[in-house]
Amino acid sequence: MTALSRDQLRGLMEQVLAAQGKTLPDDEGANLRQIGFRSLDFSELALRVEDEIDEELNFEAAGLRQIDTVADVLDLIEEIQAQ
Amino acid sequence: MTRSRLSRADFPGAGSTLVDGRTGRSCTWEELPAAPYAPPAAAVVDDSYAALPFVWEHARSGGELLVVARSRMEPALRTELLEAGFSMVGSERPEQPPAAARREAEPGRLWLLTSGSTGRPKRIGHTLETLTTVAGTQAPRRWLCPYSPGTYAWWQVVTLSLAQPGQDLVVVDPADLETWTAVALEHGVTAASGTPTFWRQTVMRSGAELARVPLEQISLGGEPVDQAVLDQLRERFPDARISWIYASSEVGASIVVHDGMAGFPVEWLDQDREGRPRISVVDDELVIVSPHHGAGLEGAVHTGDRVVVADGRVQITGRLDRDEINVGGAKVSAGMVRGVLQAHPSVAWARVSGRKAPLVGRVVVADVVPAGGADQGEAGLTEALTAWCQERLPDYGVPRRIRFLDAIPAKETLKSDV
Repeated sequence: MTALSRDQLRGLMEQVLAAQGKTLPDDEGANLRQIGFRSLDFSELALRVEDEIDEELNFEAAGLRQIDTVADVLDLIEEIQAQ
Repeated sequence: MTRSRLSRADFPGAGSTLVDGRTGRSCTWEELPAAPYAPPAAAVVDDSYAALPFVWEHARSGGELLVVARSRMEPALRTELLEAGFSMVGSERPEQPPAAARREAEPGRLWLLTSGSTGRPKRIGHTLETLTTVAGTQAPRRWLCPYSPGTYAWWQVVTLSLAQPGQDLVVVDPADLETWTAVALEHGVTAASGTPTFWRQTVMRSGAELARVPLEQISLGGEPVDQAVLDQLRERFPDARISWIYASSEVGASIVVHDGMAGFPVEWLDQDREGRPRISVVDDELVIVSPHHGAGLEGAVHTGDRVVVADGRVQITGRLDRDEINVGGAKVSAGMVRGVLQAHPSVAWARVSGRKAPLVGRVVVADVVPAGGADQGEAGLTEALTAWCQERLPDYGVPRRIRFLDAIPAKETLKSDV
């Protein structure tokens, strides 16, 4: 599996938000609720990553955690890719 | 069970012309070559035209018969039929059933195989009488019959030709569908029956040539019918009668709609009328009590088809076990999403499904075949389709991934497995 870089992940996240008419702020500390990044958007981001790396992501292995910010999303997917 | 009719007078269509779309040869029912068989028999045929002598033989003798295209004849099916007492005739290697399986033929019995889209093909018992569902005098027409021989839809067109005067047939096979419009023009076809997938493929591949075929009657069936395909056909054939038909081997032709709109009026539900099917909706499933049912299927048949009632119409959206997508607890009909996508002018065909995803379990995704004139490129079309769906569907129903295909995938049944 060729893991996507954090910049590439940000790029995909931007695309997900753009399709909803929203923008991704530069600040990774931005709150997901405030920028309108919802569960469905997170799901779409995961599918975009899977399509890029041509492999299914295993979210179960990452365990349950609070995901509040842009950084939380990027951290989680980076971590799953590294497994 | 009544014996099949034996008299020429009972087959007013016996003088109708039958044209082989592949070769151009033609004759009437009465002029077909003899095809004697020892019933019960499975007539395995290479093409649709080759099946017609067996049909005529059955019409005259009533000998128990099953017709099937050789392309559907898998070894397991052959074994199953032999063990059920059928002898093999036609283009398949002739073979008698094993001694232990030999039995008396059922006079008048015809067997149909279901499409197998929901599992192994099942054998459903009919007779010429139960398969002949068109009543009343019809205007003389020359029908294109594009279906695989022996299927319910094929029998519908064939029995119409037998039962009504002036209903000529031009038979083509699913393998030849890319050229059917040329065949139809050459042989003066004025009526055609096909699945929505068949019509979409034709509009996409040869729309200009299609518009030159002088169609007076267009029939659609075998799959959910959406408004977009009806509108496309109406645009090309403003004066034709456009009908969609809900029919299956199990319940026969049960719903026929001529008003050019997808679905049927909600007022048709739960009506008891002599000689007509009774149509109901139970837990989102279409349930039918039909006078045209297959043998042993008396009473209410749960069709397995999912329906949605909206704006005074009952829409059949797809198979119950595949149509509903659960997106984080919200339920969306794949058929309804497909209908929205296919209503977009840049979409020739769409398939919608649920794809496994974190947090919400499944999200809606789509495969799309762009229409001929679509020139935005994949990124532009994705953006346009997303916006189109956002205006017409709840959030959870908007496809989150759209994959583009070059051609409409279709099976021998002329269905596209949506």
